[in-house]
Amino acid sequence: MTTETKPLALTVNGRPVGPVDVPEGLMMQDFLHEYLNLTGSRMGCGQGICHACTVIVEGEGGALREMRTCITGAHWFAGRTVVTVEGHARHDAKGEIVLSPVQQAFIEHFAFQCGYCTPGFVTGATVLIDRLKRKPVARAELEQVVTEALDKHICRCTGYVRYHTAVRDLILATPGLVSG
Amino acid sequence: MKKRTLLLTAAAVILAGAAVAGSVFFGALETSVVSKAVERPLGADEMKWLAERGAYVAVAADCYACHTAKDGAAWAGGLPFETPFGTLYATNISPDKEFGIGAWTRAEFHRSVRDGVGKGERHLYPAMPYASYREMSEEDVDAVYAYLMTREPMRVPNRENELSFPFNIRQSLTFWNLFNLRREGFATNAARSEAWNRGRYVVDALGHCGECHTPRNLLQGMESGAYLKGAVIEGVEAPDITKEGLGRMGFDPLTLARFMKSGLSAQGSMTHQMFEVVHFSTQYMSEGDLQAMAAYLFDLDALPATPVPPPAPAPVEVPAPVAAAGRGTYLNLCAGCHGADGQGIPHVAIPLSTNASLRLASPRNFVRAVLHGIPAQRFPGLERMEAMPAFTELLDDKALADLTNWMRARWGGRQPIVTDEEIAKFR
Repeated sequence: MTTETKPLALTVNGRPVGPVDVPEGLMMQDFLHEYLNLTGSRMGCGQGICHACTVIVEGEGGALREMRTCITGAHWFAGRTVVTVEGHARHDAKGEIVLSPVQQAFIEHFAFQCGYCTPGFVTGATVLIDRLKRKPVARAELEQVVTEALDKHICRCTGYVRYHTAVRDLILATPGLVSG
Repeated sequence: MKKRTLLLTAAAVILAGAAVAGSVFFGALETSVVSKAVERPLGADEMKWLAERGAYVAVAADCYACHTAKDGAAWAGGLPFETPFGTLYATNISPDKEFGIGAWTRAEFHRSVRDGVGKGERHLYPAMPYASYREMSEEDVDAVYAYLMTREPMRVPNRENELSFPFNIRQSLTFWNLFNLRREGFATNAARSEAWNRGRYVVDALGHCGECHTPRNLLQGMESGAYLKGAVIEGVEAPDITKEGLGRMGFDPLTLARFMKSGLSAQGSMTHQMFEVVHFSTQYMSEGDLQAMAAYLFDLDALPATPVPPPAPAPVEVPAPVAAAGRGTYLNLCAGCHGADGQGIPHVAIPLSTNASLRLASPRNFVRAVLHGIPAQRFPGLERMEAMPAFTELLDDKALADLTNWMRARWGGRQPIVTDEEIAKFR
């Protein structure tokens, strides 16, 4: 049996990738791991449930969306702009690593233990903050909104409370995300 | 003179019409299937052994599912029913003397279940399937009565219905009953086997399958000419469950009986209201009743010893651009869980290569599942299926039409005739 391939071109963490021949039915998770050596997004359940594998996709108008790479074919991402967990931190002028605000908040709150689910939580929290920049949430609804946004991410060390606190505090500390 | 005769005739016709309408309204033409025998109250011993039987009858008749609101008190009613005439609320049938049926006599209970006329001659709305329960046996109704009287009384007041005029006048149900209520109770067909007859009793009287699977006429009664031929209810198609319809979906009698027990089959998992039917009712039915039901629906006197699945529909040709787009979307968004060849993942995602919704004439159920998703569901025997995501934001009408046409043609044997406009209507 031969595997049929198709050329795939997309942008990952700001860099153009491809066109490269990729099997038609290959899942994005395998493409990131095996073709790009970006192993940060985790293979957890492989069934789209645990959300350890999620990455950010830029949609129309720059709005961010979370996509599960274990159940989404690599070719769905053709022509799209993707940010994996490797694409959040940056280097400053001195070459030092600067974590994203979400990553920094997770460190400060000791939010994770084993860290397996963390790429998914970083993705989920970043997408939530992007959403609130576009449409701020009322203070009274904040707890609920954070819970709903992170709810689908599974953490087997059960660090949910610290993840939740980290994201909530970051939102409260960032101007323009909360109204009222 | 002549003019006067005309006037008199007209007046007589109007009067006669009014008299007929009046007698219908006041129930003169109503027929009861309840015998005088039930006016005798049941003794304590009778109530005791009947209650044991009644637990099963109440499950088979699925009383609980409607008479318990989501997260509400058991048997205390409150579940809303959206109808074209307004919202109805299921009533409290726990034995509370004030709010439930604790003060109802045996005869009053019989009249409400089988005639649709409750305590104090108050007409019930046919959201209560008395048109079906009319065929229940006297003993089964007694059993349910006795069983309900053993439940915990719930002090929960009934919610007022929100119906428009004239549907808020309960007595007007006499007209509905005149046209939609059969005169007689259950009659055994001597030409058919015991299993077939029991099956018809379970399907028609207890299970009240026709209430959803038989289309409704203008008066919202079950259309007898289209018995069990399928209807759209709450935006979802309750499919044709005649033997032709079941065969087209890929069922044989034994597979159907298992499906009613487990909620899972190669044809798919139970969703929407049927998920609840399995959850509250059919999973607890006896093997005998499930097999009788399957025998009756397939119009057989006895079930075959082994399942003989009907042949799968032959795939249909699809124009190359539609196939390329449809297959591409399938591999990108569906295959991760349902498999490249539609084989599914056990305990996670159903197979699609044998899925019933792809074989139905209407794409409605398939398209709605893709657009709106299906929540994760637990099934009997520690079985479960994971959530189906909603793809409404990820697929435009064109992409979904191509996907629908390609999948239905490949696995359902249906012509690729679904248009973008048709998809848009399901959003």
